[in-house]
Amino acid sequence: MSDLPGYEILSIDDLDRYTTTQGSQVLRPLRRRLGFRPFGVNVWVGESAGDHVVEPHREPEGTEELYVVVRGCASFTVLDETFDAPAGTLVHVPPATFREATAQEAGTTVLAMGAKEGEAFEPGAWEDFFVAYAELRAGNAERGRAAMQEALEREPDAWQGAYNAACFEALAGETEAALAHLQRAVELDRREVQRYAPDDSDLDSIRNDPRYTELLP
Amino acid sequence: MSVVHVDELQAIEMPDGFVWRPVRRHFGIRAFGVNAYTALEPGGQIVEEHIESTLGHEEIYFVLRGRARFTVDGTEHELGPGQLVFVRDPSLKRSAVALDDDTVVLALGGKPGEPHTVSAWEAMFAAVPASREERWDEAIAIHEEALTEQPDHAALLYNLACMEARGGRHVDALLHLSRACELEPKWAAHARTDSDFAAIRHEPGFPV
Repeated sequence: MSDLPGYEILSIDDLDRYTTTQGSQVLRPLRRRLGFRPFGVNVWVGESAGDHVVEPHREPEGTEELYVVVRGCASFTVLDETFDAPAGTLVHVPPATFREATAQEAGTTVLAMGAKEGEAFEPGAWEDFFVAYAELRAGNAERGRAAMQEALEREPDAWQGAYNAACFEALAGETEAALAHLQRAVELDRREVQRYAPDDSDLDSIRNDPRYTELLP
Repeated sequence: MSVVHVDELQAIEMPDGFVWRPVRRHFGIRAFGVNAYTALEPGGQIVEEHIESTLGHEEIYFVLRGRARFTVDGTEHELGPGQLVFVRDPSLKRSAVALDDDTVVLALGGKPGEPHTVSAWEAMFAAVPASREERWDEAIAIHEEALTEQPDHAALLYNLACMEARGGRHVDALLHLSRACELEPKWAAHARTDSDFAAIRHEPGFPV
């Protein structure tokens, strides 16, 4: 057993609060804070009425999800059906099905959990990236960098990690580091990088560097 | 897609006094473990006293509504809505009593580093109402379904044998009891004093 405490008590109100770049939902990263390992679990908040509390998305890679409305009331859309989900409602969504939810009341809060059937859970690097970008936007580049580093260490051979690190560094104005990570991402999966990079405004600060053109002609 | 309010979930009153609200089973969730619990009255048990050493589960107990008094590793903590206790160490004893009449606790758990497997206790819990009303065929069917996934689960086989013995399926009972004892010899000692086996105790093939 590690030297972590055998048990911990906390309130979801004690969790960090991170806003997203796209959409209006706020992430309160529960899994990351606890170091919970069996499956994914996080808290999402729509702070004002009308804000997203679950972003519009599918889970194309096979993650089965359950949403529990903890506070307030959410308006859920699953596939093409829209319904009210007051506190205490549980919504189960299979992987490839479209889903989104908005807050009908300020502070509507959803506990979201998910994993893939038949696979041991690995924390998604998206949690770290979410935190990294939010910290950078809030002016805490160092805290953001630490979250980014965790993702890179967890999945050193994923193109997404190197690519997101390049975006982070480009946004932070660290041209040399950004180009080095972009090069690494291209080495790992040139096709995917070529698909995203041209329209990604995060990379604007390095796009006119000749080394960028050399990497992505 | 399916939707349910926690108050609409099946309420299975357990012999220990708490009420199991099967969430995972309701939706047929395969990827992770999640259940809800309520109590019969304020002061009543809402999380049974247990450890998770056998399953090796990390567990989160989240108070969805009302208040509950948890006892974890001998220390009491009063928790309200939005508060949770994360029990990282499976060997720690944990339990809770409800402090309000509408308290709901969500329990999330699984074993790190392994794909989720449905816990055998869920079938045993789910069979409680049928057993209580001596609807043995139904109780047996619930166990048989769980055994298709975990055919060598000794406790499930033993429980199945109990129900078969009570339901008059004596040959099946002897077969499944023998298999349970073969897998885990401790069940033979239980069987010798278990009143469920009164009808088959003197049959040839009963483990002695």
